Amino acid sequence: METSSIPQTSTVLKTLLRADFTTQWRNRRAVILTLIVPVIILMTWKPLIKVAGGPFVLSNSIVLGLIATGLMGYSNSIARDRDKGIFQRLRVAPVPSWSIMASRILVQLVMIILLTTAVFIIGNSVDKITLSPGGYIATYFTAIVGGAVYLSLGQMIVGRIKNPETVNATVRLVYFLFILGGMMGEIFVIQYPQFKVVADIIKWSPYGTARTILAAGMEPLKWNADASMALLATIGYAAVFAFLGIKWFKWNTK
Amino acid sequence: MKEDNILTVEGLSVSYGSFNAVQQVSFEVRKGEIFGLLGPNGAGKTSTLSAVEGLLKPQAGTILVDGHDAILKPLHARASLGVQLQSTSFQPELYVIEVLQLYAGVYGVFATKEQLMGILRDINLADSAMKKYGELSGGQQQRVSLVIATIHNPKLVLLDEPTTGLDPQSRRQLWERIEAIRERGHAVLLTTHSMEEAEAVCDRIAIIDHGKIIAIDTPQNMIDKHRNAPEVIAVSRRGKITLEDVFIALTGKDVRE
Repeated sequence: METSSIPQTSTVLKTLLRADFTTQWRNRRAVILTLIVPVIILMTWKPLIKVAGGPFVLSNSIVLGLIATGLMGYSNSIARDRDKGIFQRLRVAPVPSWSIMASRILVQLVMIILLTTAVFIIGNSVDKITLSPGGYIATYFTAIVGGAVYLSLGQMIVGRIKNPETVNATVRLVYFLFILGGMMGEIFVIQYPQFKVVADIIKWSPYGTARTILAAGMEPLKWNADASMALLATIGYAAVFAFLGIKWFKWNTK
Repeated sequence: MKEDNILTVEGLSVSYGSFNAVQQVSFEVRKGEIFGLLGPNGAGKTSTLSAVEGLLKPQAGTILVDGHDAILKPLHARASLGVQLQSTSFQPELYVIEVLQLYAGVYGVFATKEQLMGILRDINLADSAMKKYGELSGGQQQRVSLVIATIHNPKLVLLDEPTTGLDPQSRRQLWERIEAIRERGHAVLLTTHSMEEAEAVCDRIAIIDHGKIIAIDTPQNMIDKHRNAPEVIAVSRRGKITLEDVFIALTGKDVRE
């Protein structure tokens, strides 16, 4: 066996990615469960397609999938591995700390792409929703930007809270609040458009901005100033959450 | 730094808030030496080791690992270190062979699957290659953990309480493996609560208490030096002075939390 003094970062990253993808694959049941809510929405919101349009339903489904992936999947796995000392074991190897987290985030970005593809497939087969080729490409891009908000929010939660059970309880609560405030709020606003303040709060929340850019991405020709502002707000949310998440994050629970 | 030192720690201080866990600690580990760091609970053993491993940033002091400054060039220092943490855990979803593959990769060791299977055969765990780490017994986990700590042939191996929770057979086997590391010319720095272990395997020991090193010597010299001290005789239980008697005399009889 040959050994080098400091391994190349590309070798380290490749090795970490292989292990993290294997871990994700072995947890595929949990991954499939995160798809359940988006699939239920696609199936039960069929009547809304005529009222609000296909992109509205698809974007809500994807946002909920993004929240499940970023908040529930990412933060719970980070909290568990930190608690078990898995990160500390990796950190005593000649591995840059950023590469440990980069590998985890890359896996989640792939999950976001798979989630978006699954929603497209189910949306097409169940609700007959189709997009232009540009719409599909733009949606993948906006899904990654939107996903970054929830990954960084997950990072912030796991940075602030050390106990994995408390992290789990907190992300479930936040997920529930997003469903209640975001998804239900959107339906409420459709029925009662006179409540403008409620509509604005939802629109500029992390849920609303991600949904806006996803819906706009699905119809690139209709992209407007509102969508651009939502894109900026989404990037802003991601930047703030990521800054705090990195600042607060501790590699061990002691 | 002396040429025959693989690790030099000078004036190391580690604090957690206002609590000074390690205060002005200095010691060195020589090439091919097994060096034991002994101390009661909370004495500063793990904090000292963590600083050497680069897991925490000391408030003061220098740490040289094989000539590399562990604070300024942590990756270079870590490349020369093999580490077994007090409570090591690996991804529970991975099989033992995959954990080996992962750590071979992160240490820059190019090993084929057959070579890794050979390593597992050496520690009598070839049959467990497709088991998950959590499914192994304590002794088996310890063997895997040690093999991972030495997979890159490091010049210095750090073992934090390596025999805690092991049965006598596994403990003896681990001592043999630690001595085998030394025979290959590598140095070992271990922490332990077991005076028997320190006497059995360590060439030199340091006793640390309240964050300060209070004695450094060979186990036998330490016994001989304190043999006639009244406080040592007072705590001796069987007439024969042991390292444990010296340790208790130096660190006190009070139980630490």
